[in-house]
Amino acid sequence: MTARFLLQLFLIVAAASIMATAPACAVPPVERLVLSNKLKVIVAQEHSLPFATLQLLVDSGSRKDPPGKEGLARLTARGMLLGTEKRTAETINRELDFLGASLGAEAGPDYAVLSLRVLKKDLDRGFGLFMDVLTRPAFPADEVRREVKKTLAAIQSEEDQPDAVAEKTFQKELYLSGYGHPVEGTKESLPAVARGDVERFYRENYCPNNAILVVVGDVTVAEVRARLLPLLDAWKAGDVAAVPFKSAFAEGPKAVKINRSVTQANIVIGHAGLSRDNPDYYAVVLMNYILGSGGFSSRLFNEIRVKRGLAYSVGSYFDARLYPGSFQVSIQTKNSSASEAIRIALDQMKLMQASPVEVKELDGAKKYLTGSFPMRMDTQAKLAGFLAQVEYFGLGPDYPSKYPSLIMAVTREKIQDVAKRYLYPDKCIVVIVADLKEAGLDAPGLP
Amino acid sequence: MRRLGRDKSFSRRRESGVFVKWISGRARKGGHSFLLGTFILFLCLVPPAVAGPTGRVSESVLPNGLKVILLENHKAPLVTFQVWYRVGSRNENWGKTGLSHVLEHMMFKGTKKVSGERFVRLIEENGGNNNAFTSRDFTAYYENLSADRVGVAIGLEADRMRRLVLREEDFRTERMVVMEERRLRTEDNPQAYLFEQVDAAAFAVSPYHWPVIGWMEDLQRLTLDDLKTHYRTYYSPTNAFLVVVGDFKKEEMLRLVRNAFGSYPKSVRPPQERSSEPPQSGKRMVCVEKEAKLPFVVKGYHVPNLSDPDSYVLEVIEALLSGGKSSRLYQNLVRERQLALEVDADHSLLSYDPGLFYLSAVPMPGKDVAEVEKALDGELERLQREQVGGEELQKAKNQIEAVFVYGQDSLFSQAMMLAQFEVAGGWRRLDDYLPAIRKVTAVDVRRVAGKYFTHRNSTVGILIPLPPTEERPASKGATGRDRMIRYRSSECRAQGSIGF
Repeated sequence: MTARFLLQLFLIVAAASIMATAPACAVPPVERLVLSNKLKVIVAQEHSLPFATLQLLVDSGSRKDPPGKEGLARLTARGMLLGTEKRTAETINRELDFLGASLGAEAGPDYAVLSLRVLKKDLDRGFGLFMDVLTRPAFPADEVRREVKKTLAAIQSEEDQPDAVAEKTFQKELYLSGYGHPVEGTKESLPAVARGDVERFYRENYCPNNAILVVVGDVTVAEVRARLLPLLDAWKAGDVAAVPFKSAFAEGPKAVKINRSVTQANIVIGHAGLSRDNPDYYAVVLMNYILGSGGFSSRLFNEIRVKRGLAYSVGSYFDARLYPGSFQVSIQTKNSSASEAIRIALDQMKLMQASPVEVKELDGAKKYLTGSFPMRMDTQAKLAGFLAQVEYFGLGPDYPSKYPSLIMAVTREKIQDVAKRYLYPDKCIVVIVADLKEAGLDAPGLP
Repeated sequence: MRRLGRDKSFSRRRESGVFVKWISGRARKGGHSFLLGTFILFLCLVPPAVAGPTGRVSESVLPNGLKVILLENHKAPLVTFQVWYRVGSRNENWGKTGLSHVLEHMMFKGTKKVSGERFVRLIEENGGNNNAFTSRDFTAYYENLSADRVGVAIGLEADRMRRLVLREEDFRTERMVVMEERRLRTEDNPQAYLFEQVDAAAFAVSPYHWPVIGWMEDLQRLTLDDLKTHYRTYYSPTNAFLVVVGDFKKEEMLRLVRNAFGSYPKSVRPPQERSSEPPQSGKRMVCVEKEAKLPFVVKGYHVPNLSDPDSYVLEVIEALLSGGKSSRLYQNLVRERQLALEVDADHSLLSYDPGLFYLSAVPMPGKDVAEVEKALDGELERLQREQVGGEELQKAKNQIEAVFVYGQDSLFSQAMMLAQFEVAGGWRRLDDYLPAIRKVTAVDVRRVAGKYFTHRNSTVGILIPLPPTEERPASKGATGRDRMIRYRSSECRAQGSIGF
């Protein structure tokens, strides 16, 4: 549901943020067009299977939610699927299902994505639906109300997931800006969102000059020109509302403890992170790979899981967004091990700062990040997401070929340097959702 | 990710449901999982799997009994190399459940030649992703990596097929990890906990009674000797098969495989016969009372597997009930009546032994779980009463076919699909799938619905949310929920006592 999607999106972003490089052979030929309405269109042909994937990225994420109306960006994205001038929601659903196609809309903190997957033989019908919901949504009042009601219920349901509760609490505590609230909104904000807000948000954001369309799969550029461009060209450019934004963060040390009758403590430890365009980004990616994101080989995984058996799931990541995002370590361990796990995580952060990483660690990280690149785009959906992000974050069309040199240039000294500048083990916000008594954490203060 | 959207329409869009369903039921579900990975699998990113026509698939059997299934696919310079063992929780015994999955974890602890640490490092340095997973019916290991590095995977997998070193110290630590995994997946996840109880009630005799991860008490009871015996019995060329899909030449791949695995002697094929579940003689009912915000209802019906043509009809029924937002459950329960927040139907086609067809729903806040259960029953009754219309039937078939095409998008999922069919009855059965789906008629749907979705054949599970144990700020509507809880709670106990 809502917030579960959120988590997925987060993971996708996290994965994208450690996107490695492509040997030239891994990326199919890519063509980039800019239409007269300023829509950027990126086409990557891949004809091995008779279907296509379209992703339209719109710079209309939840960071643009007006205060008090949190959840508006997502509601607008979802709202497009709830009916158009010509079609009811039910008609849309039936048409899509009859084609075996899928059309989805979701929002993340930075941007929203409208995506379509459709068999080649149904491309025209699928694309017609795609353009209909994109350019002529009706946002029927009863449908919008129903969507709000569902979202509120999903928020309530999510309370049953201790990891989600920990994550949400962490975001809320850490950010002092529009990045702090859940994309789906809150039970306080959603009732305040009216249909008029949705219409306005749509008008001010869903413009071709604010969007990137990626077309991947069994479609030629000629077909895009002949069959898609006429519809896309008719989409009118508009005035995109400027929403000034600046990341702001709360500083720790601070512990937030939430009591639940659970067998495991769900722990999030973290602080401010960095933006995707930070020149230190690649060094930070490597540093964090060694610390906690590198699957089975990371230090946190080794110390907490392999050596001590304290957790099944442990990891760290930098959520690099358009503006600075967060750094966080997530751990799930039995209540009674909570304090120990937190201590180990903080110690490992300090160790990254205190001494340079080993040569073989850095070497392994570099080889993994550069070598695993083709797998980051081995399906249509992954490739479309990759290309959309390259464009959105302005990484340049030569990004895949540039990536190995960006990674290989990072030295052990640089790793230690970014560990010192981007890790703050003494200023962490620590969120613990646990049976606090069992965890021995029922006294106030830091564990 | 272990928690994915239950919003069917949404999960369909992202994963089209089938991938995990075909893995063995319900791994995708936040609530329920037959499939456990040593490491967290981000299943949400993997599209459904289907290899399509198996025309290009080849099979060879080495003299020692190792079956090798190969599919060349040259669209990217990648290979997925997978070793599947015909052993899962169905091969375990009362008191020692969870053994197969613990062994899967131990397979990462090193051999005489390669330490666990070195294993991980070698895969990493070669830019590979690897993982493993265990289900009721199988345990599988895979490496996804560049085609020119596949030799590394072959060498490592061959090595650990017979030369694993099982140490007491590793076992004790790893058992703790698995217990954490159980806490994460089941103990603190009320929906998953309920699914576990439903299976335990529906299967009284069959090994599908217990969860893949095992009961907590059993995990504590396992010994290193249990693991050694399990490894010796089931990890052999005769009881395994390889599936390799990707950018390679068949002859060359076979040569590499022969060199690596060919020297192992032929061993005795372990017995696979297990007690089968006798027909159910009446409705069974279980309740779980746990701290939760919303109730949850699951209904399970015993159904046949691939070996019975009815299973294809059940595939179509699943699509009718929960394929997309125009499906019956979503349209009627979620949209129209606004009774449920999430609904789902799930059919385990590729189960080795016959499994369950599940319906599940999360009631909207304020809606009574009994009303939701009644609505689910209503949809099943409708399938039995009215013949499904031609267009609706065609829609379901179109969806299944489209998902079939989408599923071929990833090498990994192509291999998964071949392997799961191999486990369930042979990979060549994959060719029967679409033709069998196309043949399903409206008469079949009605007949099959009538045959399996009976009161007598059902097991119903209800999650009764308990309020938080300690005082916290009362949320709006708490009174209503409390009343409902108490009502359901007592009623449920009464029904439960009849059922058992």
